[in-house]
Amino acid sequence: MLTKSSFLYFLTLLLFKQRDKHIGTISISIVIIFLLSSILFISSSIQGSIKIALESQPDFSLSRVEAGRVVDTPVEWIDKISDIDGIVDISPRVYGRYFYRPKEESFLVVGVDFFDEQNQKELKNLIDGIDLKDFFSRDSMLVGEGVKEFLAEHFYSGDFSFKTPTGKFKKVRIYDTIPHQSNLISNDMVVMPIDLAREIFGMSEDLSTDITFNVPNDSEWDTILTKLHLLFYDLRVVEKREIAKAYSSLYNYKGGLFLILYLITIVTFMLILYQRYSMVYSSEKREIGILRATGWSIGEIVKLKFYETLIVVVVSFVLGTVLAYIYVFVWGAPLLKEIFLGGANLKNQVEFAPTINMGLLSSIFLFYAVPLFGSILIPVWRIAITSPKEAML
Amino acid sequence: MIEIDNLNKVYNDGTPQAFNALKSINLSIDDGEAIILNGVSGSGKSTLLSIIAALDKPTSGKVVVDGELISKLPDLHASAYRAKSIGFIFQHFNLIESLSVEENIYAPIVHIGLDIERIRDMAKRVMVEASIEHKADQSIRDLSGGEKQRCAIARALVRDPKLIICDEPTANLDRANSMKFIDILSRLHSRGKSIIVATHDPLFKSLPFPSRVIEMEDGVIVEG
Repeated sequence: MLTKSSFLYFLTLLLFKQRDKHIGTISISIVIIFLLSSILFISSSIQGSIKIALESQPDFSLSRVEAGRVVDTPVEWIDKISDIDGIVDISPRVYGRYFYRPKEESFLVVGVDFFDEQNQKELKNLIDGIDLKDFFSRDSMLVGEGVKEFLAEHFYSGDFSFKTPTGKFKKVRIYDTIPHQSNLISNDMVVMPIDLAREIFGMSEDLSTDITFNVPNDSEWDTILTKLHLLFYDLRVVEKREIAKAYSSLYNYKGGLFLILYLITIVTFMLILYQRYSMVYSSEKREIGILRATGWSIGEIVKLKFYETLIVVVVSFVLGTVLAYIYVFVWGAPLLKEIFLGGANLKNQVEFAPTINMGLLSSIFLFYAVPLFGSILIPVWRIAITSPKEAML
Repeated sequence: MIEIDNLNKVYNDGTPQAFNALKSINLSIDDGEAIILNGVSGSGKSTLLSIIAALDKPTSGKVVVDGELISKLPDLHASAYRAKSIGFIFQHFNLIESLSVEENIYAPIVHIGLDIERIRDMAKRVMVEASIEHKADQSIRDLSGGEKQRCAIARALVRDPKLIICDEPTANLDRANSMKFIDILSRLHSRGKSIIVATHDPLFKSLPFPSRVIEMEDGVIVEG
């Protein structure tokens, strides 16, 4: 068809013969689409990771507050909480940041009851690959990727000794790492049996850091909260949906900053293109004038330039998104990852899971294609409607 | 047959810079006739050619070609008229520099729906007619003035138009190339084409074919 249709033949001929003109546009377009795609791929992947990481988390966590300060929560509260209808899977948790003083780094130690039904659900991904008999044969822990790397750098490859409040050291075996997909949250986390965590933090058996529970009926959440506040005056409740919002806001904020930078870049680029096609690029104007003078109508000129731009847009879009895919999902987005995930205590080992959908690709295409078409076709149309005599000057 | 009736063209109409380029022009051109529009620069020759070729619109008056009022045509029809009926040869050739000779020649007809082989055949035919076929693949940038002129002639002939319009066609040519151009015009005239040439080149005062000389001055026909 391409060889038969003279219009398509002429179109490809113009693209090839005027490739120098298009290479500049395509190159800049690829860079812009690459940046936009990378930002959106990272944002989308982070949102996906947050969703996965929070899926297994309990709906609520509750802790005691004294004079506005969060303190250890009595385990006996569990009995009172379980009296409230609608609450299920109640479980105590022990956690806290453990500071490794020589390097002034810290990681989050989380103690859980591995045999508790609720915890088994939450830790399904972790427990699945574990030989529990072997795990409990010695004091053992599971560590996030960041913790593992940090400890290895300091020659703790098989085990690590925690300093307890009594000044003694507690040696704990590094049993395994926490799976990659939850790295966004678990990167600097250490998971161990609850009694071991209590020993490390010097907590008695009747205390926990907080108590977690689920409320399967979403519409009951506010009622349950009211009942809890009536039951305990010294209470602080954190909802899972609040945590999800906090994480989303954090990464949306960073993505938003990049989108503003993208908008500034694209507006500048489009203005340059608009200027170029409006008047500065006189050979383009002359070419339109010549075609008009030899019998091309305004519609035919716009059609030619539309297809020319479409090819430029499609080539740039495909190359830009493919490069962004490789950069984000194969190479792990060096530089951009540090900007998005920077500020974490330990170097984050997050691997972005590919989460591309048609909506995302369409958004990228529209974000780029519409302004590009506008910035080229509007001046082309304006030249085409002027007298061919003037355009040829 | 071309009928021009009380044609006026005012540039920057309604402004202090208004300039009356054509004043009450009345002219009738028969089919197959050759017209030489003579006059100094600024006398209105090019403006008159542009209006006849539907490249420009008059301020008032009428241009009727073969019964069709072309001075008021909307763009689509004006473009079709230019494509089918007019072969325009410009003073500065107006060729697309990035394309070859052959590509420039078929550029005006690639949008009409014919397949590329047919279009290339049409281009080859007129290249022979304009004696430029040996430069078919050459870039416009590498051509001499005379070769560019012949390429422009071939492009003007590619749709076999009835009317050939030339605006100062020999202004950028030496005498030898000017004579070659006149020779080509002569052949076209013998084939029954109507020809209108705007020029102040004295070579056109003794053409080898019958022609009517019209003198223009300050936008007015003063003789012919």
